[in-house]
Amino acid sequence: MDANVIISLNNVNFYYGQNRALTDITMNFRKNKVTALIGPSGCGKSTLLRLLNRMNELIDDTRVEGDIIYEGKNIYSPDIDPVEIRKKIGMVFQKPNPFPKTIYNNIAYGPKLTASNTGDINMLVEQTLKQAVLWDEVKDILNQSAMKLSGGQQQRLCIARALAMKPDILLMDEPTSALDPISTAKIEELIEELKKDYTIIIVTHNMQQAARISDETAFFYLGNLIEYNKTEKIFTKPDVKQTEDYITGRFG
Amino acid sequence: MEERRHTSSHYEKELQEIKNDLIYMGTLTEKSIKMAMESLTERDSALAQKVISADDEIDRCDAQLEEKCIRILALRQPTAIDLRFITTAIKITGHLERIGDMAVNIAEKAIQLNEEPKLKPYIDLPRMSGMVIEMIRNSLDSFINENLELAEKVRQQEQIVDDLNEQIFRELLTFMLNDSKTIQRAIYIMQVSKNLERIADHSKGIADMVTYMVTGESVRHQEQSAD
Repeated sequence: MDANVIISLNNVNFYYGQNRALTDITMNFRKNKVTALIGPSGCGKSTLLRLLNRMNELIDDTRVEGDIIYEGKNIYSPDIDPVEIRKKIGMVFQKPNPFPKTIYNNIAYGPKLTASNTGDINMLVEQTLKQAVLWDEVKDILNQSAMKLSGGQQQRLCIARALAMKPDILLMDEPTSALDPISTAKIEELIEELKKDYTIIIVTHNMQQAARISDETAFFYLGNLIEYNKTEKIFTKPDVKQTEDYITGRFG
Repeated sequence: MEERRHTSSHYEKELQEIKNDLIYMGTLTEKSIKMAMESLTERDSALAQKVISADDEIDRCDAQLEEKCIRILALRQPTAIDLRFITTAIKITGHLERIGDMAVNIAEKAIQLNEEPKLKPYIDLPRMSGMVIEMIRNSLDSFINENLELAEKVRQQEQIVDDLNEQIFRELLTFMLNDSKTIQRAIYIMQVSKNLERIADHSKGIADMVTYMVTGESVRHQEQSAD
């Protein structure tokens, strides 16, 4: 595998019961890049995102075909522990979902539980909150409930929480759709910073957001990968007419 | 290819309006060139004055079109074909505005020439102006219909106009060498010819932008070394 590729899909099909939600998807995600997955509702982009850390397994009557290769192995092989996968491939959701615990414990909980970081937890908390550009705002209130934070702060806390597990890849499912423009700008700024150390794959309905923050963009429609290209190319001269129709608002 | 419309009918209307405005501006410039040439060939200085005052309307169109395009860029954040369309429209309006100025230049030269005896019958100049008017029309048609062949035709026509300009220049040179009293008038006629040649350049500029709009590839400076 190309050294710049961190995770790759080969002929992946995915079914909810009898319904095929993804058809024959083959694509490589590149290391330390931000890749945006775009497409209309029901196109399969969120399904694909959840496939990448085996979150879809939590839904009954689903089935995966094909290979998703990460670190040289198919993440769906029987000998792979999904919990280990989810540590390396973290996820941030649409609505901020902090634990109903203190800010400190939101970060410390995972590392303590999995004992993956036996080092100094205090240092880890500070370090990840700094990475998520939240430290200055919360350093004096670490023992306050995370639920008291604003939506934008909660979302950055969730990103910090994911970072505390020392992942390689961060999956983000519409991470700013519940946030105001300033909080959105902060998260977008953060994403640009984080890509130095992490690979980020983001699902977004906000086309301008995809254009602003991603290096590569994949357009999905009805479970098919229609076009996967550099973001600049997609937004100036896409190769496929369907992509052009979608991003220029000629769809539906 | 099937042309899909935007989900937002307002946006669709705004883009259509840009097209209509450019066509309108194109017809104004055509009219100005025709009038300027007629004021020269018919020795009608009053008509030349009309060309000069009509330029205000072309300038107004230019300013208004640019404002509309900037508004769309800011409010609609166009992408892909829409983005290339808007950037092309901004460039085209600039070219048309300059074409309007060239028509004014021709009208001003006509006024000066009309005050003196006619140096020679005008044969090549009307041919040239006929061709540049066709070029403007072709370049705008190629824009509206995204027609690459027509854009290519404009590029070829530009070469013909260049050659005509050269020919007129050489002919006038012989007049000037034979009789120094013709120098002033010959220079004015040369300037008319040069202005027509510049109009052809601007039409080619429009055609080049159309090629960019349709293909995403810039062809603007490809022949620069040959110039």
